[in-house]
Amino acid sequence: MSTNNQNDLHGILAEFKNPKQLLDVAKMMSKSGYTKFDTYSPFPIHGIDKAMKLKKSKLGWIVLTCGFLGFAGAVSMMYYMLVIDYPINISGKPFFNAPAWVPVTFELTVLLSAFGAVFGMFALNGLPKLHNPLFNVTRFKKATDDGFFACIEANDSMFETSKVKKLFEDAGASHIEEVYE
Amino acid sequence: MSKYEYVPEPALVKGNHDFASLTRLVTDVNLRPTPKGWYVAMIGANALLLVLLVAIGYLFWEGTGIWGLNNPVGWGWAIINFVWWVGIGHAGTLISAILFLFRQDWRTAINRFAEAMTIFAVMCAMIFPGIHVGRIWVIYWVFPIPNQMDIWPNFNSPLLWDVFAVSTYFTVSFLFWYVGLVPDLATIRDRATDKIRKVVYGIFSLGWTGSNRHWWNYEKSYMILAGLATPLVLSVHTIVSFDFAVSVIPGWHTTIFPPYFVAGAIFSGFAMVLTLMIVARKIYGMKDIMTDDHMEKMNIIILVTGSMVGFAYMMEFFVAWYSGVEYEKAIFLLRATGPYAWAYWTMMICNVLSPQFFWSKRLRRHVGFTFFISIVVNIGMWFERFVITVTSLATDYLPSSWDYYSPTIWDVLTYVGTFGLFFTMFLLFLRFLPMVAVAEIKAVLPQADPHNYDENYDYQEPVEEVPESQARLY
Amino acid sequence: MKDLEPTDHQMSEVKENTYWKSLSELAQNKEYQKFTEREFPENATELTDGVSRRGFLRVMGASIALAGLAACRRPVQKILPYSNQPEDVVAGNPLFYATAMPFQGNLIGLVAENHEGRPTKLEGNTLHPASHGRTNIFNQAAILELYDPDRSRSPLKNGTQVSIEDFAEFAASHFSNTNQRVAFISEANSSPTYQNLKNQVLNKFNNASWVTYEPFGEDNAIEGNRIAFGRRLRTLYNFDNADVIVSLNDDFMGSHHPNGIDYARQVALRRKLNDTNDTMNRIYAVEDSFTPTGSFADHRLRLKASELEGFTYALASALSGRISGLSTFSGYSNEFSDHQWISTLADELIANAGRSALTVGFEHNPKLHAVVSAINVALGNVGSTVSYLEVPHIDNQDTHQALQNVVSQMKAGTIDTVVMVGTNPVFTAAADLDFENALSNVDTVVNLSSYVDETSKKAHWHVNKAHFLEAWGDGYSFAGARSVIQPQIQPLHKGLSEIEFLSTILTGNLGNGYELVQQTFNGYYSSGFEKRWRKILHDGIDTTDNFNAVSVSLASSFNSAMNAAKENLPNTSGIEVVLRPDPTLYDGRYANLGWLQELPDPMTKITWDNVAVMSPTTAESLGVSNEDVVEINSNGKSIKIAAWLQPGHVDNSITLTVGYGREGIGRVANSYIDYTAGGVDTYPLRATSSTLFTDAQVSKTGEQYEIACVQDHHSLEGRDMYRQTTLEKYKENPEFATFKSVHGYGVPGMEEGHKLFGEAPISLFDEQEFPDKISYPEYEPQWGMAIDLNSCFGCGVCVIACQAENNIPVIGKKEVKRGREMHWIRNDRYFVGDDVNEPQAVHQPIPCMHCELAPCEQVCPVAATTHSDDGINQMTYNRCIGTRYCANNCPYKVRRFNFFNYPKEYLTTGDDPDIIQMAMNPEVTVRFRGVMEKCTYCVQRINRAKIETKIKTGSPKPEDKTVQTACQQACPTEAITFGDLTDKDSVVMQAKSNNRNYQMLEELNTRPRTSYLAKVTNPNPALA
Repeated sequence: MSTNNQNDLHGILAEFKNPKQLLDVAKMMSKSGYTKFDTYSPFPIHGIDKAMKLKKSKLGWIVLTCGFLGFAGAVSMMYYMLVIDYPINISGKPFFNAPAWVPVTFELTVLLSAFGAVFGMFALNGLPKLHNPLFNVTRFKKATDDGFFACIEANDSMFETSKVKKLFEDAGASHIEEVYE
Repeated sequence: MSKYEYVPEPALVKGNHDFASLTRLVTDVNLRPTPKGWYVAMIGANALLLVLLVAIGYLFWEGTGIWGLNNPVGWGWAIINFVWWVGIGHAGTLISAILFLFRQDWRTAINRFAEAMTIFAVMCAMIFPGIHVGRIWVIYWVFPIPNQMDIWPNFNSPLLWDVFAVSTYFTVSFLFWYVGLVPDLATIRDRATDKIRKVVYGIFSLGWTGSNRHWWNYEKSYMILAGLATPLVLSVHTIVSFDFAVSVIPGWHTTIFPPYFVAGAIFSGFAMVLTLMIVARKIYGMKDIMTDDHMEKMNIIILVTGSMVGFAYMMEFFVAWYSGVEYEKAIFLLRATGPYAWAYWTMMICNVLSPQFFWSKRLRRHVGFTFFISIVVNIGMWFERFVITVTSLATDYLPSSWDYYSPTIWDVLTYVGTFGLFFTMFLLFLRFLPMVAVAEIKAVLPQADPHNYDENYDYQEPVEEVPESQARLY
Repeated sequence: MKDLEPTDHQMSEVKENTYWKSLSELAQNKEYQKFTEREFPENATELTDGVSRRGFLRVMGASIALAGLAACRRPVQKILPYSNQPEDVVAGNPLFYATAMPFQGNLIGLVAENHEGRPTKLEGNTLHPASHGRTNIFNQAAILELYDPDRSRSPLKNGTQVSIEDFAEFAASHFSNTNQRVAFISEANSSPTYQNLKNQVLNKFNNASWVTYEPFGEDNAIEGNRIAFGRRLRTLYNFDNADVIVSLNDDFMGSHHPNGIDYARQVALRRKLNDTNDTMNRIYAVEDSFTPTGSFADHRLRLKASELEGFTYALASALSGRISGLSTFSGYSNEFSDHQWISTLADELIANAGRSALTVGFEHNPKLHAVVSAINVALGNVGSTVSYLEVPHIDNQDTHQALQNVVSQMKAGTIDTVVMVGTNPVFTAAADLDFENALSNVDTVVNLSSYVDETSKKAHWHVNKAHFLEAWGDGYSFAGARSVIQPQIQPLHKGLSEIEFLSTILTGNLGNGYELVQQTFNGYYSSGFEKRWRKILHDGIDTTDNFNAVSVSLASSFNSAMNAAKENLPNTSGIEVVLRPDPTLYDGRYANLGWLQELPDPMTKITWDNVAVMSPTTAESLGVSNEDVVEINSNGKSIKIAAWLQPGHVDNSITLTVGYGREGIGRVANSYIDYTAGGVDTYPLRATSSTLFTDAQVSKTGEQYEIACVQDHHSLEGRDMYRQTTLEKYKENPEFATFKSVHGYGVPGMEEGHKLFGEAPISLFDEQEFPDKISYPEYEPQWGMAIDLNSCFGCGVCVIACQAENNIPVIGKKEVKRGREMHWIRNDRYFVGDDVNEPQAVHQPIPCMHCELAPCEQVCPVAATTHSDDGINQMTYNRCIGTRYCANNCPYKVRRFNFFNYPKEYLTTGDDPDIIQMAMNPEVTVRFRGVMEKCTYCVQRINRAKIETKIKTGSPKPEDKTVQTACQQACPTEAITFGDLTDKDSVVMQAKSNNRNYQMLEELNTRPRTSYLAKVTNPNPALA
């Protein structure tokens, strides 16, 4: 990040001492109207979602949809195979043998729901994202160890370098740094 | 003063660890050069794995006849081992899912570890349905894929339910495990100094940053997965038990099977986790994380599930007598007194008697004893499956077809071989992946809770909050 | 397999040549030599997984291997198809030809199923009085003997292969000297042609002697009649008229009785019960060891074989006071005189005078037969239940005596040439005759036999005998029905039939069987011969009753003979050993037939071995239990054999069967401990003085020997699979067999079901039930079976018939020992009763039940076993992946699994790979390793019938009785009925409407299509 061209400024990153500080700075950032900001910590911090004014996750709906697909898929598959396409007299059981189909239906419902939960989460988080400007900051490696960071992105409508730095200083950041693409 | 006294929850992590020290404690294992001992162990495991491959190869070449099976007894060690391994494979998901839903924070110390064990156990289990059939090369016919015969699988068959249940269980457990791994892989990525590790861990951590926007979805996802895995884990052994319960064979045709199989599964699963944990925490010096308190808690679960299993055995007898069905009555008497009595009483002693020692707190916290019992329990659970599978078939309705079943060397080798696969996988896991969920365990440190800081952002030991009712006693 | 290709190629290219050349070419073939050294390809490794591939293959090879390239070897002469089959072969359509099988010289009329010129199955000839369309185990196994690769393939001169023409040359030169002292030893033979030739031979040679030797023949009976009536007559029973039958140690229903099929049928038909008004005959059996007949009897008394004489005399004396003709016994008494049975039997016999029959086993000595004949005469049974026949072909001499004379002459060196026809005295003759040694004093020994057996090895000239399905012949049934034996195929190894052999010796030129037989019949029908001949060939029978029954009266010598007999009764101190023909191998002549070796003994259920059968009490006193080897010393000879406990066996007696423990006969017969016929040669214990029983010292050796028994558990455990009652109780409660009468409560769920669904029991499902559901269309027949337990005496012919029809492999002792027997229908034998020494033995044939709600079907993950529209529980072999779940879930345990590649082993390996495959029934799939198989109700027969009916009448439902399953067709007592359940008048529906009809394990609601008719016994209240 030697060539500091304003245009490829990604944002300003500040490190804080502990979860409490991060929580408070999150409050300040959201209060002062920033939207394109984020906080980074080695583990999820209790109550930070409110502080950051995060909206309820849409994941639930994704899972529900997938689960339904699993359920409907299972039932229709078995119905097609055993009743429509190739009905056979097996132990004199009725072709549409509902009780016997419960286990498979259940399993497929769970399976697709799980897919929804995992891949939906990754999708919502925009992962995998192997390149991230923050990785240019050596110090940022602590974010997965014992570091607590906040970052306001340059493309935030209210972004002004000085103001942002001021905000972090007031919040008691132990270190502030500009992050470039 | 009342005889009651408030016992505060013991700290989850012993020693005064901070975030960084925990990170180091766990991930250094993966970063430091491979120790000699690991290679030694790996060679042993691979030798066993080779035995498995040879046994399967010969089976493939000669046919099912190399096993001890005969006319009444169509299922032997293969199915026993399958059920046994699947049972063991229940602990992991149970710990990570159910204990999560119950907010049992102590799970964080062992869940990663247990989940890994689960996945490898299920891998071992899945071998058997695959190879125990007469024509291994067409096993894929159990999947609903279009074929030249234009015929579909029979969804009325418990075996087919098994196919779906076990493969779903494996997939979901694996995803669950991986999701949990992502932040920790990121940790290793960031601590890694050599290129290869940087790249490999980099790829598998998917560019995780620890963003709290991500954590927000992540926790949601984790919660939902837990919610899904809970009924799943209960369903798997339920469906495995259907293999027996749905049949008409006395001793198999029993409605009690689902709950009693699940209890047995948890029973054996926890025993296996303990067996491995006690060894691993010693070798890798994880005593601060996997504490004796954890061991005690798990022993309590073993005591509970063990007693449930014992209760189930009693109920089987009672129901057989109460039903008045002569064949039911006969089979249960034959189990206890017939040609397989030796197996039956081994089962009773290992599963019903041995856990009862854990009523004593001293024994619960005694490492050596726990280790011993954890192995005894798994022996017992193997015999439970033996008793169920073999005795019922060997002496069913028509006395004329009764016959004694005894295994051949190939039955034994195949079983022993699966341990080769299990330990090979497990050693790889210990070497290359964090055996404790670092991010999760950090989250349960008091330092992780913003409330434990004063207005100058200085950490304050949380004061033990004594509940009102209790407080009056002081 | 790879190794075979050169061989195959070699053989295929020599196909045009005659078989001989091909064999010699094969012999040069390197591959072939490798085979002969190591009768299986390398890649069939011998690992210690239990089943020894080597042994395994030996069995396989011979169990089904055909010898000879018989692909298109239809007989040259014109033979006529049975019934109205098209005479020219339509590919795939079998032709049926009448023929007949000689057994101890008596013909049993058969029909051979002939596929493209090769016989594949034998059934009884309905027109023939000796079979009535039924068969015994030996008839069924004969087809396997035809294709046995171990049959002798060429004449041998001092052990080296020569051609049949060489033999003719030798015969021409050697037998030109008509003054030589020549002895003929022949097995029994009823052929009139043979008799003609015999007479010509005896005329031609001035110093010729002739002995007819059968180790277990009827000679004692005939000799007995000579004592009684002064004439050598055959005793023929007619059990149709017998209300009371007393069997004195006579297994007259058993397969090895020359008239067993007919007798079994007669007895059983008198026990068919359609309703409570029907009557039954009553059978008493006095025997030492359990026999099928004994297990079929209403009353059974355990008695040592040696005591039977005393017992019979006591009975005679008890009768003597009340009927005339037994005066010689009046006043006589012995230890049995006040035995309860004596008085009871006396009363019964008197009460049923003229409607009763006493029989005694062939093995017992002539005196016993004499007194029995005398009693039958005194009771006035002659003409109603017994008749005495003049049989022309029976020599007028005591053949045991005759044999002894010949042997002593041989020893004395006063015999130049011995000619042995079909018989094997070196193996079977009494040990003290030392026949083998005697032969060595004879310059020229000629022998005709199917195998290179013990005798052939001692002979200078061995000639390979043609199988009866390969050569023309003729003969009489036991009762005197005359038939012609039609060959079904050209001799596979250029063998000679007995008549061709004799005429070769007589003329010096190879005889032509066809001409010889025609000559004989020309003699009978000088006019209209052609027409007659065609009819005989077509029907398989000429005239019946050719032996005239003579009126008999006691000979003067009878009394003196009896007085002598009464004085010195035989008695055995301590343990006696009894030698009997084996139920499945007879005298050993069938030892190389895998089907018979693997057919469980009817009473012990043991395969592949003979054992020392004894009572539990005796075993206790000897301190042995099953599989303990005991040493038996008798007459200076000693053998070691495994002990076996048989409830109901008489104490202080051990029963041994002969025919096992042979060497160098064939790959099946030879004793190889590791895999097949173990067995021990017990003939050494046989002495001229005591052919049946003898004193013996028995001691435990401490060794153990594995026995492959197919049934480990012999008690019903108080379960209700087998239901029976007595005739009285049946009349009181005709519904005794229903679930309710047996258990005192109805089938669980029935009442509730009736309330809810009408007929069906309560159920979670809306089941596809016959008749009113889509799965069972109107136009389809619905197959079902009923098995009448009142008719089954456990002979086991159903098992072999099924094996022959359905290409069921023989798996060898080791695999049977591991409990993997493959028989689709098995015959369960249970011991019933509280006293282990006096049990009742019952038999229950168990095929697939073809449940409508089959537990096996729903558990198959790949839908490989499903239900057909005509209600058959069918296996789709090529869909089966072999989870074995269906077998586990079958409550009747009738499913069989191919644990190894049983069929492929013998279909692609062995000495004659491409021929082996021709033994298969082309209408039945050969199953591959790893698939499940089971009874199909002979679906191939069903479908053939369906197609034929469709073509003929256009109806999809074959007429009643047009479909017969293999087991049903073979059963001599008509215990099995099969047919269409939608036809209310079908035999099977009639059977099922019988009030004795019950379903096995009805409470499981599997709705079996196979049901059972409960057994009813007819005990004598006096003995109750």
